[in-house]
Amino acid sequence: MSEIVLTARDLTRHYDVSRGLFKPHATVRALNGVSFELEAGKTLAVVGESGCGKSTLARALTLIEEPSSGSLKIAGQEVTGATKAQRKQLRKDVQMVFQSPYASLNPRQKIGDQLGEPLLINTNLSAAERREKVQAMMKQVGLRPEHYQRYPHMFSGGQRQRIALARAMMLQPKVLVADEPTSALDVSIQAQVLNLFMDLQQEFNTGYVFISHNLAVVRHVADTVLVMYLGRPAEMGPKEEIYNRPLHPYTQALLSATPTIHPDPSKPKIKIVGELPNPLNPPSGCAFHKRCPYATERCSTEVPELRTVDNRQVACHYAEQFVA
Amino acid sequence: MPLLQIKNLNVRFGDATATPVVDGLDLAVDKGEVLAIVGESGSGKSVTMMALMGLIDHPGIVTADSLIFDGKDMLKLSARQRRQIVGKDLSMVFQDPMTALNPSYTVGFQIKEVLKQHLGLSGRAAHQRALELLQKVEIPGAAQRLDAYPHQLSGGMSQRVAIAMAIAGEPKLLIADEPTTALDVTIQAQIMDLLLALQKEQDMALVLITHDLAVVAETAQRVCVMYAGQAVEVGQVPGLFDVPAHPYSEALLAAIPEHSMGAARLSTLPGIVPGRYDRPSGCLLSPRCPYVQDKCRQQRPTLDPKAHSLARCFFPLNQEVA
Amino acid sequence: MSTPTPVVAVDQSLLYPSVYKEFWQHFAKNKGAVAGLAFMLLIVFCAIFAPWVAPHDPSEQYRDFLLTPPVWLEGGQWRFLLGTDELGRDLLSRLIQGSRLSLLIGLSSVVMSLIPGILMGLLAGFFPKILGPTIMRLMDIMLALPSLLLAVAIVAILGPGLINTVIAIAIVSLPSYVRLTRAAVMGELNRDYVTAARLAGATLPRLMFITVLPNCMAPLIVQATLSFSSAILDAAALGFLGLGVQPPTPEWGTMLASARDYIERAWWVVSLPGLTILLSVLAINLMGDGLRDALDPKLKNAA
Repeated sequence: MSEIVLTARDLTRHYDVSRGLFKPHATVRALNGVSFELEAGKTLAVVGESGCGKSTLARALTLIEEPSSGSLKIAGQEVTGATKAQRKQLRKDVQMVFQSPYASLNPRQKIGDQLGEPLLINTNLSAAERREKVQAMMKQVGLRPEHYQRYPHMFSGGQRQRIALARAMMLQPKVLVADEPTSALDVSIQAQVLNLFMDLQQEFNTGYVFISHNLAVVRHVADTVLVMYLGRPAEMGPKEEIYNRPLHPYTQALLSATPTIHPDPSKPKIKIVGELPNPLNPPSGCAFHKRCPYATERCSTEVPELRTVDNRQVACHYAEQFVA
Repeated sequence: MPLLQIKNLNVRFGDATATPVVDGLDLAVDKGEVLAIVGESGSGKSVTMMALMGLIDHPGIVTADSLIFDGKDMLKLSARQRRQIVGKDLSMVFQDPMTALNPSYTVGFQIKEVLKQHLGLSGRAAHQRALELLQKVEIPGAAQRLDAYPHQLSGGMSQRVAIAMAIAGEPKLLIADEPTTALDVTIQAQIMDLLLALQKEQDMALVLITHDLAVVAETAQRVCVMYAGQAVEVGQVPGLFDVPAHPYSEALLAAIPEHSMGAARLSTLPGIVPGRYDRPSGCLLSPRCPYVQDKCRQQRPTLDPKAHSLARCFFPLNQEVA
Repeated sequence: MSTPTPVVAVDQSLLYPSVYKEFWQHFAKNKGAVAGLAFMLLIVFCAIFAPWVAPHDPSEQYRDFLLTPPVWLEGGQWRFLLGTDELGRDLLSRLIQGSRLSLLIGLSSVVMSLIPGILMGLLAGFFPKILGPTIMRLMDIMLALPSLLLAVAIVAILGPGLINTVIAIAIVSLPSYVRLTRAAVMGELNRDYVTAARLAGATLPRLMFITVLPNCMAPLIVQATLSFSSAILDAAALGFLGLGVQPPTPEWGTMLASARDYIERAWWVVSLPGLTILLSVLAINLMGDGLRDALDPKLKNAA
């Protein structure tokens, strides 16, 4: 049983949105009670569509924003109420890789300088030692020593993601949050970069929080999957359980909507109508009930709690009917 | 007689010696057919269609042996004649719906603009038709949406509006350039279903440009795989996915996470697509191909019929398979 | 078919020209910009080597040669290529000497307004809640006054002279730098690489000067070249009004002023300084345009 590097309990994040001079403020519940644990060397995939709260979760996990309530522990250290010195340590323990390879590197800084910056800020290594570490990491991600002097615009998208990954791993963080890291890449480049992700995870035993809307990629990299809808967890459990026997209707719809190379004519596509509800005006009861093919009266009034059914957690009143 | 016939299309940026972005492309699309063009960045798939529509500006140079759409020679048309076809019989849906619509005008205004330009409708008739079009693309509350501005719509809605504008002229051929890449998975499924339904209903040919092989497998009848500006394989769906003849098609299929199932690493080809400075003199895939032989490095293969498809390879795969 | 993933044999990034070469390639495509650059280099050369380039001493008065026409007109002499002014001083030498002053005024006013302007813009962008709006309202007030009148007012308070001219011009050009910097900073703050720097633990000064500022430089550089030319114009205007550099110092605008009365009799005393101002400003503006075009593609590439 490896060390638990990340613990989240009932994480919430609310935003106040002003609606003009005369109306009262509205509250957007971007994140509404998410709990999970992440072990070292394992990957938790967070899956959902735009507006489900995964970006907000990413920002909370990387300490960019404070959660409105709930507890977040990184490598055992509680985030809320941490002292300045503790925060400094927390900074080193969690890092992030972003979606766009074109926006996540500083266009005006040399690659070598960007990779060395985390070391410069957080450690007391000499310039020569930093350079050595940077060169070692560059080699590990498949870059050549000459690339040290180059600027980001001289590299392809795939190479830039490698650089971004190298930068994130320079401090050997316990947790790496990857926000759609391969969505902007071609299939074959995606494969190369994903392989690199897996290699580095093995090398440094880092826990990954892998955010993605691409269920095929998630199936390849994840150990545990968390499906989110409008800020709440819909279903969470081991990968194989979720993929082989999804219990939440939203998970089923997501899987059905994902195109596949060998379409199975015996499996009919679940047609899901409508779009994500407005977060300023969420539906009563279960957030999914307006689009759910199985919704009943109960779904529109009662918010389903996350409970354990068939070896995973699911937030649906009627989860049992899909177990068979 | 196919609806669209492209023979030996070349597109270069710069002068005649510049590296071609599209290199000797032959393509044909029949009436009512769904053809997918698949490739990665730098394959030239979008540029091909832009060249067809006459959207390549200086310093791009477009040359072809023939570029015939609906019996008309696109190369010989004047700008005015081309404007009568493009947007009406031949139209396009782009990747990012948020930037494809003009943010300063309402949705209704933009649709009516198309109706006026290509069908000569105005006033009540245009309004009525615009409403019908929005209903056809399944936008809820169509009457109110006519007065909405693009920024008030979600990605999925904007793309539906873009599709409405594209089919307003009742096109014979609709080109969809990565229409769902910027959208969520469930919305993607809705939009693809919509496109196919419209295609069947209006007996419209659909050319789908994408890098997502899974989408191709579920929607297209034929597929053209492009690499570095050339068509490397053209075949039937699902045949090409079951028995790919060209090593690049095989590599693309192998790189998809679906195919790895359980393996720790995804299968990849080393290296990247050749750029301006390092175009091989032999087969363009030869520096990366796992099956490469001497002949491949010296000569350029041509696109010829093989067992199940057209392939540009001296040593195609899966030829014995029935 | 699993292979390790090294970068391909011929690496695209290594074939890229260096940053400076790339910049020059773009810049050189714009013929006007290159012409502007050439002219400016000529002016700079004259400014640096003025005592050796000028044929005569600018303040020496040749009493026998008052208002001599330029060499290509009747009555002109090779000794005084561009003629002499009302006190018999060689015009060409005065113009060459004047280039020193104009460049000095341009350079120092730009530097004097660029540095505080960037600082205030950075602060306004990084602290958008209270400090930002305060700074911007201050700048709005300054922008509400016509720049020339503001310059005149400042010089009237401080007194005429070279240094006060420079101060006045610097104050007047401050708001545009602040606005530009703030706009650029606000645009960059949302980008992922700034978040990444924050995540790496970058402190505020580091974020401001090392992470964000270099990415805001392009519009600032262009604005600086354009301010240079308007500084020359403003100094000339102030000189013309008698408020700037005082005679007998050979500043182009002051030369224009003192030659007002001779427009009909000896047009060259007025026109030639005016022409020099025109050409210099034109050259700088062409250069500025070329700079903007050359710096933009890099921005597009990086974006």
